[in-house]
Amino acid sequence: MVGQEKEVSLDSVQQLEAVEITDKMKKELETAMKMNVSVDEFLASSSSISFIKRGAYAWEPMLNNMSSERATITIDGMHVFGACTDKMDPVTSYVESNNLAAVNITSGQQGNANGSTVSGSVDLQRKTTPFSMQPKWEGAYQSGFELNNEQFYHQGNVAYANKKLVAQGSISYREAGNYTDGNGEEVNHSQFKKFNTSVGAAYKTGELSSVRVDAIFDVAKDVGYPALPMDLWLSRALITSATYKQLYEDGWVRAWDTKVYYNTVEHYMDDTTRPENLVHMDMPGWTTTYGLVSKAHVMKGKYHAEVQLNAYDNLSIAEMRMYPQDRSERTMFAYSWPWVTTRYAGLSINNSLEIAPKSELNFGGALGVNYNYAKYIDFNWIFHPGAPQEKTRWLPSVYANYTLKVNDFDFSVGSGYGHRAPSVSEGYGYYIYNSFDRYDYIGNPNLKNEVSYEVNASAGYQTEKVQVKAKVNYFYINNYIIGRILNMGSPMNYQSVGVKGYTSLDYATLFNFSLNTSYALTNNLHWEGTLTYARGMDEDQGNLPFIRPLSYQTSVHYKYKEFGFQTSFNGDLAQSNFSPEYGEDLTPAYSILNVSADYTFQLHNFKTVVQVGAENLFNQYYSTYADWGNIPRMGRNIFTSLQIKF
Amino acid sequence: MIHLVVAVCIGMVITACTLDKIDYEAELATAIPQAYEFEEVVLIESNGYRIEIEALNGTFYKGYNELHFTVTNMSNNQTVDDAAITWLPIRQLNTAAYSCPHSYNVLYDATNGYYSGYSVFDYESGLEGTWEFYMSVEINGELFTIQQGIEVMAQPNMNLNMTTFTGADGISYYIALVAPVSPSVAENDLVAGIYQYNQPEEPAGVFPDPSQFSFSEVQGATVLLDPRMPEASMGNHSSPNNEDLTQMTEGLYHGVVNYTMTGNWTLNFMFLDADGNLLAGTEVPTDFTPGIEGAKSELYIDILF
Repeated sequence: MVGQEKEVSLDSVQQLEAVEITDKMKKELETAMKMNVSVDEFLASSSSISFIKRGAYAWEPMLNNMSSERATITIDGMHVFGACTDKMDPVTSYVESNNLAAVNITSGQQGNANGSTVSGSVDLQRKTTPFSMQPKWEGAYQSGFELNNEQFYHQGNVAYANKKLVAQGSISYREAGNYTDGNGEEVNHSQFKKFNTSVGAAYKTGELSSVRVDAIFDVAKDVGYPALPMDLWLSRALITSATYKQLYEDGWVRAWDTKVYYNTVEHYMDDTTRPENLVHMDMPGWTTTYGLVSKAHVMKGKYHAEVQLNAYDNLSIAEMRMYPQDRSERTMFAYSWPWVTTRYAGLSINNSLEIAPKSELNFGGALGVNYNYAKYIDFNWIFHPGAPQEKTRWLPSVYANYTLKVNDFDFSVGSGYGHRAPSVSEGYGYYIYNSFDRYDYIGNPNLKNEVSYEVNASAGYQTEKVQVKAKVNYFYINNYIIGRILNMGSPMNYQSVGVKGYTSLDYATLFNFSLNTSYALTNNLHWEGTLTYARGMDEDQGNLPFIRPLSYQTSVHYKYKEFGFQTSFNGDLAQSNFSPEYGEDLTPAYSILNVSADYTFQLHNFKTVVQVGAENLFNQYYSTYADWGNIPRMGRNIFTSLQIKF
Repeated sequence: MIHLVVAVCIGMVITACTLDKIDYEAELATAIPQAYEFEEVVLIESNGYRIEIEALNGTFYKGYNELHFTVTNMSNNQTVDDAAITWLPIRQLNTAAYSCPHSYNVLYDATNGYYSGYSVFDYESGLEGTWEFYMSVEINGELFTIQQGIEVMAQPNMNLNMTTFTGADGISYYIALVAPVSPSVAENDLVAGIYQYNQPEEPAGVFPDPSQFSFSEVQGATVLLDPRMPEASMGNHSSPNNEDLTQMTEGLYHGVVNYTMTGNWTLNFMFLDADGNLLAGTEVPTDFTPGIEGAKSELYIDILF
């Protein structure tokens, strides 16, 4: 057995966990309430992630209450860029919960390893099966049905491993109809269909080295966006990578992991399902990304470091095709992303030094260079005459964090400084319609880097029964990029009320607080509670948009023999600090009660779990501060699921 | 597992794009049918000289036509650069004769090696009459004249449209677009020729008496520009950073028009004389009115690209 353990540890993912250096949050991909969740639902259970929702599908994750441009969202360190100018396809929409093992969320500049960031990084980690001395097969099948939107899904995983070879695959299909809100009204255009499959194979090339290839293929079809005037006809993503890992038994460098990757995303929005629209429009978008991630783990005594080289080349294209009334006569055309190339290369080092058994210093830095090129810069010149077609930016980042443990208490303080480059939309977007505030957005190639100064602190108390952790962070962001009304512009999309240009505020500030507690009343009865609060303000002390009001969640888990019972109660207070300037209005408070029960048994020696539950049990009618167009959320939803592991 | 692999392989094979990207350069050319180059439109041999006139695409079109003349001595095949040339286009309708804005004296352009002139045909050949031109050429004191019928074709490129109007001062004016021949979604340099008809002060002499067919470039006027997309679905959409048309030293009027997307656009004009008096055109509403066709100025030119 011992020998087998050692063999298993040759898979470097296992090895890496041993030298985990940042305060990363790892969770199995299931929430406390629901054992089969979408990636979005899973992320929503983290206290540092909130979501902008435009429907039932593909929510935009917000880390530390900042929009997704300010985070680096990666899959195993790979950059994938959504192809929708309206951010309908965040990276998280191209993976499925059954091909992910964990999500690493790192707040602020500590998340600089995968690229320059302000709010932090979200790294979606794919499942990897370790090599095994004994050839073995593993698999799981999950299926379920959700009553509210008649969603059903089937998901399957298989993996084979021996001491030289690993092969694994997953497949998933979800299909949902329109959901019904708490008033029993059907929310039109909220249906979706999603197919996702992944394959991976690893081969051990030596005692301490292996090569691995992976691919994810994802297709979404007929996805409705009730908050938008158009829907998704089809999106597809192909995400591929090849990785070489080498471990070293001694020396400073203990592991070296190099990955080359390629991914391509296509996203076709149109309004063929909206005959009422005055003007018909297609908004296809494409992104193609090539990249390299190379990571070395350095270890010497009490010092650990992770050195990472990151490089990618991305081409983003988005078109706007308008049809006056007759769809066969397309007369109008413009690029909303005029063939924008982004090249990035960055080197980061994250160090961890154990000063004493009870205290640790984490510090690090990164330097990136970001290059943009717009092929059809003519489009941008209309609003920004003479803007440069090419732009190179240097993006530095540094941070330090000190952790101290005193008996059952732990404390940490930290600080960080970093730059980020404007996103493709912020720099080069052209008449990108935002249905939240109903403005057309114009990018500005001359925008300055956003510069973030952050401080953070945490305090925790942990015994066997009780865990309490409080975290705060504060960001002061210079040149904060946001859309401001451009008087000279005239809207292009008929639903819009005006034109906004991305501009830099002198500064903006963001404050985030979270309190997580858990208490084990007995071995079988657990209570958990979470409280989050955030405040975001611009230079004139006005409110920033999409800042979550005070929110809470409390849940109880009870286990009795093979049965499990869970109940959770969560909600937001009223969003009193809303921003009318950005199209927000006061969102009232809401609270939701969820319950579920599960039963575990053996079916032909296969571990089987069945679960039934209800979300929004009292069928509340509500929408949250981040729901576009105040689209109501789902009413009562009864769900059932079945999981078989073999 | 095998099935999975097969399924994924099939998936990868079909990942070729299902919706093709627009070929933007080709897209710009769809509303602009020809390749635009100067080609021969008239060739005359007379008095031992070969006279060649080139126009865009080898055709006379309604609207502004830049004309390049070359004169070659056929005895030694040498080009002649010191001829005095006059050019007078005439339109015959029933028994009456009309002309259109034109450069009566065609001057030699040493830089380019041809005589440069223009003609702004205001009608196509057909029901509105037939066109001919009268030319006089004087070389070393020897004068000869040429008269020849020509065909003026409809202008297929709306970006070279023209308009005529009578100003508040009672004068007939002509605005003809010269550039951009092939606009793009960009800042486009907008160039127009602006002309007026000069009423003859003397009774007509021997036909064709050039004093009866006198036109001149309007001097020092300003044309205020407000480009908009007229279709109801575009809700009176406009663009920023446009510049009004003012006269440059070569006589033509230059401004800037920004087209924010391809499609139908209307160039709404207000025409001010050198003293700033409004002679034609009306202000257009600037409101965004989806579903309502944009109101046009009384003075406008429609374009499409």
